[in-house]
Amino acid sequence: MRIRAAAVAAVLTVLAAAGCSGDSTPLARPAGPSAEAPAPAGPATAPDTSCRPRASLRPPATLPEPGKMPAGSYMRTIQDRGRLVLGTGQDLLLFSSRNPFTGRIEGFDVDMGRQIADAIFGDPDKIQIKVIPYDKRISSAHDGSVDLVANTLTANCARWKDVDFSTIYYDAAKRVLVSSTSKARGMGDLGGRKVCAARGSTSYDGIVSAASKPVPVARDTFGDCLVAFQQNEVDAISTDDAILAGLAAQDPFVEVVGEPLSQEPYAMAVSKEHPEFTRFVNAVLARNRANGTWKRTYERWLPDLGAAPKPPAAEYRD
Amino acid sequence: MSTAQLDRAAPAVAPAPGGVLHRVRRLRHTSPGRLQLILAVLLTLGALTGLVAGITAAAARTGTDDLGERAQPLLVEAETIYSALADADTTAAQAFLAGGLEPAELTRRYEADLHRATTALTSAARRTAPGGPAAEAISALSADIPRYAALVASARANNRQGLPVGASYLSTASRLSRESLQPQAQALFRSAQREVDAGYSDARSSWWTALLVVLLLTLLVTLLLAQRHLSRATRRTFNLPLLAATGVTLLLALTTAAVLAGQRARLADARTDGSRPVAMLAEARILALRERGDEALTLAARAGEGAQEKDFDETSRQLTGLLADIRRQSGAATSAAVTAATEGHRDYVAAHDEVRALDNSGRYDDAVELAIGEPTTRTFTVLTDGLGRGLEDRKADFTREIDDAGRGLGSLTVLGPLLALVLCVLAAAGIRARLEEYR
Repeated sequence: MRIRAAAVAAVLTVLAAAGCSGDSTPLARPAGPSAEAPAPAGPATAPDTSCRPRASLRPPATLPEPGKMPAGSYMRTIQDRGRLVLGTGQDLLLFSSRNPFTGRIEGFDVDMGRQIADAIFGDPDKIQIKVIPYDKRISSAHDGSVDLVANTLTANCARWKDVDFSTIYYDAAKRVLVSSTSKARGMGDLGGRKVCAARGSTSYDGIVSAASKPVPVARDTFGDCLVAFQQNEVDAISTDDAILAGLAAQDPFVEVVGEPLSQEPYAMAVSKEHPEFTRFVNAVLARNRANGTWKRTYERWLPDLGAAPKPPAAEYRD
Repeated sequence: MSTAQLDRAAPAVAPAPGGVLHRVRRLRHTSPGRLQLILAVLLTLGALTGLVAGITAAAARTGTDDLGERAQPLLVEAETIYSALADADTTAAQAFLAGGLEPAELTRRYEADLHRATTALTSAARRTAPGGPAAEAISALSADIPRYAALVASARANNRQGLPVGASYLSTASRLSRESLQPQAQALFRSAQREVDAGYSDARSSWWTALLVVLLLTLLVTLLLAQRHLSRATRRTFNLPLLAATGVTLLLALTTAAVLAGQRARLADARTDGSRPVAMLAEARILALRERGDEALTLAARAGEGAQEKDFDETSRQLTGLLADIRRQSGAATSAAVTAATEGHRDYVAAHDEVRALDNSGRYDDAVELAIGEPTTRTFTVLTDGLGRGLEDRKADFTREIDDAGRGLGSLTVLGPLLALVLCVLAAAGIRARLEEYR
């Protein structure tokens, strides 16, 4: 869990540079490194380099057969319950959003959960979707109110203290969404303008601490940010490109601008009580990377982002 | 004639400096002087009584009319605005839950709700004086309702195109409704309730009535004393005109007592059988709609049981208590309607518990199906229809009682001063006859 190599630390510094899109203060505790006041120059959240956020628990060599989870394991508890409880959102198009035609919640994140349900039950539909507020993503996994959180959640060291993360399933980067008539080409041009992010996200902290001094505006969800944007209440929205792509897909008069500000590796969060479940999830992810399931999922939801890249490589800490 | 007399009598009552006071004192020492004094006092009292009787009747009439034509309708309109907005919010949330293209039935209902709210708002604005909390609530509502309608319209337009931002528009609209529109409507409702309470006290015009009673008693006593004085001074047992004046005074007193007592009895009935149950039933309907809204929003949020579900439990407890109270306090017709509503509420809460159980066990789609499906909607309609019937019944009762309360007040406004005039003429005639004897 400690720093291993200077090279890794250097990479991590870049990774954590502008914080993540998730809840900045996951659990009530005295201000941790990520909740500190901004330093005079540079990013607000002092990068926490005390761990390797991309590195998760090593999976077992073989997956148990669906419907035959080992006795005593958390997967067995889920199997006996008859459904996997997935915590996610319902307003992030492409990742987890409510399909207005069917009323179902679907997307890349939801499919990640469905693949886990499939591995446990042999049926991806044995899943209960619980919508959790953006600022409750870590606490919901921590207190066991959901089995698994997959909600554009960035793995970082501050959060590793409260929950276990799976291996990385998606690499995002932070950018800015503006009106197509706007002259702004990035966060640097938005000084004094209103920029929206979800309440409790580190995207919001990123706006607060941006050197160009934009005016931060918080809304409950990024969908509400898009409403505020379309009602001319804010001038821009800043968060991960993956989320912005979903917002941009709903409004032809916007564009996503700016160089990628930071790397945001998405992983699923699991309570620290059940490391065997985290290992199981990692095993499913490893299998799906290898057999092309990951690529098909990407192509299903994110075709607008171009051809599917190679899946993020798994890293393990033990 | 009486005014001419009044002019002459004025010095006798007005505390005037030295000379006049001296003259009045001197009058007491001669027999015709005493008669003149008595006449002046009688005419003054008669004129005042007539005036106050007219004012009392007019004030009571204005108060009663204001209560019946402004305060109580304002209360009903405030309830209409509140319940229409709450229902619109719930309907929009249910249309969202239904998924796909929103059901035409729900669209119609939402539009009817909005129409009801804006119509009631326009007419409530006419009944509200500028300044004050009611007017503030009305202007806030007038500004926010179009914004709300615009947000819902955007939600529908986005929904039609399959864009999830429609859901965000809907939740923004719902937040506006719950955090601004409904509290404003509630403020208007409370303010209307206060105006109804004030209306009852205005309609009773207690101060004027008390003054009238004092004047009538004083007049009667003065008339009796004057007759005793005359019969002793002139050795005639009866002075017929004064006797007639006494009779007229008694008639005036009895008429006033009958009309005002009748009005008060009607007002009391209008309050206990009309205003109070109307307010309680209105409150009950608001609570019922709140429950339904909580249920829909809990499902729409899809986050399990949260703050809305707690609010449901709390609201449900209040409603159960309120329904029992109303049933205890009301007559047969309303009682039947409220009994139906109570049963509807019990069934609805049972259905709601089932909805929660389904959702909690992961069967979200079944929970939605049960919540917005035909049977639960019918059960809930039994509840709201029962309350609506009770409300109509009580409103009709109120209108009847208030109309009865106003009856007679108009004639008293004319009759009071007229009888006073007659008694003044009689008193003047009776005493002048005796005064002639000293010429």
